Amino acid sequence: MTSIQKILLALLLVLLIAVPPFLGLGWQNALINVLISSLFALAFNLLNGQAGLLSFGHAAYFGVGAFAALHLMIAVEDGLFFPTPLLPLAGGLAGLVVGVVAGYFSTMRSGVYFALVTLAIAELFHSLAPHLEGTFGGEAGVSSMRMPWMGLGFGTIIEVYYLTLGWVVLCGLALWAYTRTPFGRLTLALRDNEQRVKFLGYNAHYAKVIVFAVSAMMTGVAGALLAISNETANYSLFSGSVSAQVVLQTFVGGSTVFFGPVIGATVFTLFSFLISDLTRSWLFYQGLIFVLVMLYAPTGIGGVIGHHIRNRRQLDLAKIGGPYLVALGGGILIAAGTVFLTESAEVLFGQDYAMARDGASGGFPAYDLFGLSWSPLNPVTWLVPLVLLCGGVFILIRARRVIDRLWARKDEATTADMTVGAGGKE
Amino acid sequence: MNEITSQTPALQLSDVSKSFGPIDVLQGLNLDIRPGERHAVIGPNGAGKSTLFNLISGMFAPSSGDIRLEGNSIGGLSPHLINRAGLARSFQITNIFHRMTVFENLRIGVMARHQVRYGLFRSAAGMRRVNDETADVLNRVGLEARAQSMAGDLTYSEQRALEIGMTLTTGADVILLDEPTAGMSREETAKAAELIRKVTEGKTLLMVEHDMSVVFSLCDRVSVLVYGRILATDTPERISANREVQEAYLGQEGAQ
Ligand SMILES: Nc1ncnc2c1ncn2[C@@H]1O[C@H](COP(=O)(O)OP(=O)(O)OP(=O)(O)O)[C@@H](O)[C@H]1O
Ligand SMILES: [Mg+2]
Repeated sequence: MTSIQKILLALLLVLLIAVPPFLGLGWQNALINVLISSLFALAFNLLNGQAGLLSFGHAAYFGVGAFAALHLMIAVEDGLFFPTPLLPLAGGLAGLVVGVVAGYFSTMRSGVYFALVTLAIAELFHSLAPHLEGTFGGEAGVSSMRMPWMGLGFGTIIEVYYLTLGWVVLCGLALWAYTRTPFGRLTLALRDNEQRVKFLGYNAHYAKVIVFAVSAMMTGVAGALLAISNETANYSLFSGSVSAQVVLQTFVGGSTVFFGPVIGATVFTLFSFLISDLTRSWLFYQGLIFVLVMLYAPTGIGGVIGHHIRNRRQLDLAKIGGPYLVALGGGILIAAGTVFLTESAEVLFGQDYAMARDGASGGFPAYDLFGLSWSPLNPVTWLVPLVLLCGGVFILIRARRVIDRLWARKDEATTADMTVGAGGKE
Repeated sequence: MNEITSQTPALQLSDVSKSFGPIDVLQGLNLDIRPGERHAVIGPNGAGKSTLFNLISGMFAPSSGDIRLEGNSIGGLSPHLINRAGLARSFQITNIFHRMTVFENLRIGVMARHQVRYGLFRSAAGMRRVNDETADVLNRVGLEARAQSMAGDLTYSEQRALEIGMTLTTGADVILLDEPTAGMSREETAKAAELIRKVTEGKTLLMVEHDMSVVFSLCDRVSVLVYGRILATDTPERISANREVQEAYLGQEGAQ
């Protein structure tokens, strides 16, 4: 890490420590979820980004960690002495143990077969959990309460927040340190060329089991943190949508950059916190964002940022800033048009509107959106999103042309530099 | 187990066969490689040279027969166990870590040699001996100026040098090189041959090589592999004088 990155991280940490007490409970809770999903995504990306093993079943280890923590919490309620701040250890241990077993089988294969085995293992948990009363509490799940420990009540959200922050920072640093160890370097080699690793004297399967287990362990810690925060969990934690969510977050954030998954997890978690009350289509928006990022910025948000940081010297930021703002404007117009159409569709195909139509004896009554009334039969209603979309696309294409030209000029400048350098040597 | 004496071959293949389905690629192969010798395998395309290397190095198990490394049977073992037993190989098609630096490509093997295979509780940058040794291999294969380049960005002949370097890193005494000079210009080939001579000093070398000038300058003995059988094993001079070999292989090359 460069010193600038270190300073930025330290600054972020100071903000994460100092600001939350002044926030409302809703925001404190949202930040807890941001932290937990960040750790989840980092742990997932150890396997995905560094070892090149894409798991479609990480919900299994998240859920296992959550249930393990809850069972330990129940034991504490019943009088077992165990410090509340150390509860996530139970999740980590459970994740590790299950990870070793699941990893042993799934890493026998690579690529698609690996992904399918992980998916199957998670589905196994998802289908078995509702039937296992004792372990997963059946359909209702398992609940418990956080017990006070040494003067810390853990009754308020802010206390849970700091507990979560501590664990996420600790595990995040550990995962970062992992990349600097000999085994961390071996992990990258496995991703690049597993076959060669074998011929250099490594048991590749054994190595992959270790990576898998470490990833599952950290995922288990994240699951435990969620259980501690919610004081309850049920079998839905094992569902495919949990596994899918971490994949989406990681790829949108950028799987090739260490902190990329944190960006994705933060964006998506805050997105659902801010948007999910306003619309019922937020899953659709999430999917749309994922598709757009994969199509136009496949390295994710983190990858794009990294690309700019790497090229900051050659880039004329003053010149490129303007076109970027214009492009942003175009993007906002497109987003506005898309949201208008999506929300209109949501209303028009909804049950309420069907009832309203019955009331209007089959006609198409006007509907309310964004504080205004729109008639489906009035062309203006459809002209508004059309103009927004077309205008946005037009602006975006124009801005992109300028941006591409500026980037190309930067490349030219670099090549010219190199030629001069080579000439100087002769 | 077997006593290692000067008589024990570094590598010994007895009646080794390999078939892929109905195709018999190798048929009843016998081959003794003496400790410390440089031994070439020549033969036409598709003769089974790479398959032979794949059997010795553990990529495939032989269909039948016995392979011994310094007296110990290794036939059918996993590649990593054969490597730990003291045998390393390079690949005909460059097989490196493209998205890692040249230095790191070499360090992976050096780590294995120093038994820090799965180290999770130390810093890779702080492993003094491993890093020194990596730098040493880097110098020996002449890539010190490219240490921090991505392996995927190297030129073809640099990648071939890296391929050889990686084969040296695990400290094996028996080295298998599969066409190390393939695709190189004459100049590059001469340089590569010199490099191979230097780095295999005191080791046993088995190499597939098409370039007869390299074979002559480098190797003590040559085996000719044609359609899954060893036609002859002898000194380069006598092999090139061998009628049967000329007809089966060298003549054929000359006719091209
Ligand atoms: N994994 C495999 N499955 C099926 N057939 C194979 C396999 N590997 C090699 N063969 C076949 O075995 C024969 C020998 O191949 P091999 O690669 O060993 O030849 P070679 O002597 O190394 O040739 P070259 O000079 O072209 O490298 C070929 O006919 C090839 O098609
Ligand atoms: Mg070959």
